[in-house]
Amino acid sequence: MAVLNPLKSAEHTIMQDTDLAGPLVFCLAFGGSLLLSGKLHFGYIYGIGLVGCLAMYCLLNLMSLNGVSAGIIVSVLGYCLLPMVFLSFSAVLLSLKGVVGLVLVIVTVMWCSVSASKLFVSALAMDSQQLLVAYPCALVYGVFALLTVF
Amino acid sequence: MADMSWHSNSKMSDRSAVLDMDAIEPGTISSDRDSGLQDDYSSTFPSESPKGKRAAGGKSFGEDMRQRVGENVTQMMWQAGAQSARRAWNVYGNIDLLRPYFDVEPKEVQSRLVYSLVPMRPTDTRQEVPKELYGPTMVVLTLIALLLYQMKSADHRVEEGTLIGSAFAVCFMYWLGASALVWFVAYVCEVRIAILQILSMMGYALFGHCIVLFLGTVIHTSHDHMFFYLLWAVVGGLSTLRMAGIIMSRTRGSKQRLIVTGTIATLHLFFLLYLHFAYHTIVEEISDAFHQNFVPVPASVKIDVIAPSANVGPAT
Repeated sequence: MAVLNPLKSAEHTIMQDTDLAGPLVFCLAFGGSLLLSGKLHFGYIYGIGLVGCLAMYCLLNLMSLNGVSAGIIVSVLGYCLLPMVFLSFSAVLLSLKGVVGLVLVIVTVMWCSVSASKLFVSALAMDSQQLLVAYPCALVYGVFALLTVF
Repeated sequence: MADMSWHSNSKMSDRSAVLDMDAIEPGTISSDRDSGLQDDYSSTFPSESPKGKRAAGGKSFGEDMRQRVGENVTQMMWQAGAQSARRAWNVYGNIDLLRPYFDVEPKEVQSRLVYSLVPMRPTDTRQEVPKELYGPTMVVLTLIALLLYQMKSADHRVEEGTLIGSAFAVCFMYWLGASALVWFVAYVCEVRIAILQILSMMGYALFGHCIVLFLGTVIHTSHDHMFFYLLWAVVGGLSTLRMAGIIMSRTRGSKQRLIVTGTIATLHLFFLLYLHFAYHTIVEEISDAFHQNFVPVPASVKIDVIAPSANVGPAT
């Protein structure tokens, strides 16, 4: 629910119970929805996800005071992939290469990155640096959006 | 600090190795033996001195000792090597070394991005260059994302590897390689600048490249590069002048200034040309191919072409 409402502030204890089941389901759902569009990109999803998680792990360990575990990174990035799953389902019905598609992509990427940065910032107590955390998240989700559009 | 740890480590390893090798030095052992029988076994026997009548049993004893000593030495060398590797990893592979360079606020990053396109006149006082890696890393990753978007929209295909791999390789190799080259030239020309400052300066300068690539992707000018050349001169020129001002404020001597600023300008501006012509040209070729297929040949032209050849044939 914290992912679906990016404007609501999250509790800092929200990431104490991390799990990988949700992120795995969302990755499979994303791959399945791309399959409905005729794109077989499961390998790309896992590869980009792995590289993105590794990059965020390095970056957040460098920026935060106490460090962060890989489980939290994978969990947050995986759960915040949910809006991207909605976008890929909408790509089945309409083409995303027009103006409407561009607006949808921008809104979705911003939704994912704001949610992810909100969760990271509340878990790591980095309130003044939410924008600095959101931008790399936006780059990672932007690459996922490229997979969806092209 | 790293040198001291290596020095003490080497001392320790030398000390342990010297102790064991002294125990089996041939000179110290063979002096107590008869030269005829003991020359073959002088390197294997310890302080004890086997006699001639024990030659048969001593051979197996000697072989056994040789094997044990060999194993001990191998084990100690392995431990010393593993210890050295562990210490080197703790010193050089420690990611915490980079932590101070990622401690920034959003407003600082914003102002540095904007000022990367604002050249300042060089004076005697050094222009400040922050030792920061967050901004340059994000700029390079943005450049990779823009290149990826361009390659995807141009349907660029890579034979061995992936589009992301190509974009990563190109951008990071330029940032790190060009910075290393500039650092070397700056070192030779006695410029007072650190490698991290060069990385930061070259990284922030790529913000101009991001702007040019973004505008070139969004604003399509069919078959005309003038818009790109204008952006290349204005935006690329501003970021180059900014870097030139920084270098000139930290260098003495006109020749040295010329060499370093010439190197930076060449690398920076040619990289932007490469990024444009390597990936943008593909869009033009595809649009050219579409244009030729969609233009039909008029029927009257076909008849004029066939008729003269029909007249000439029968007469000959």
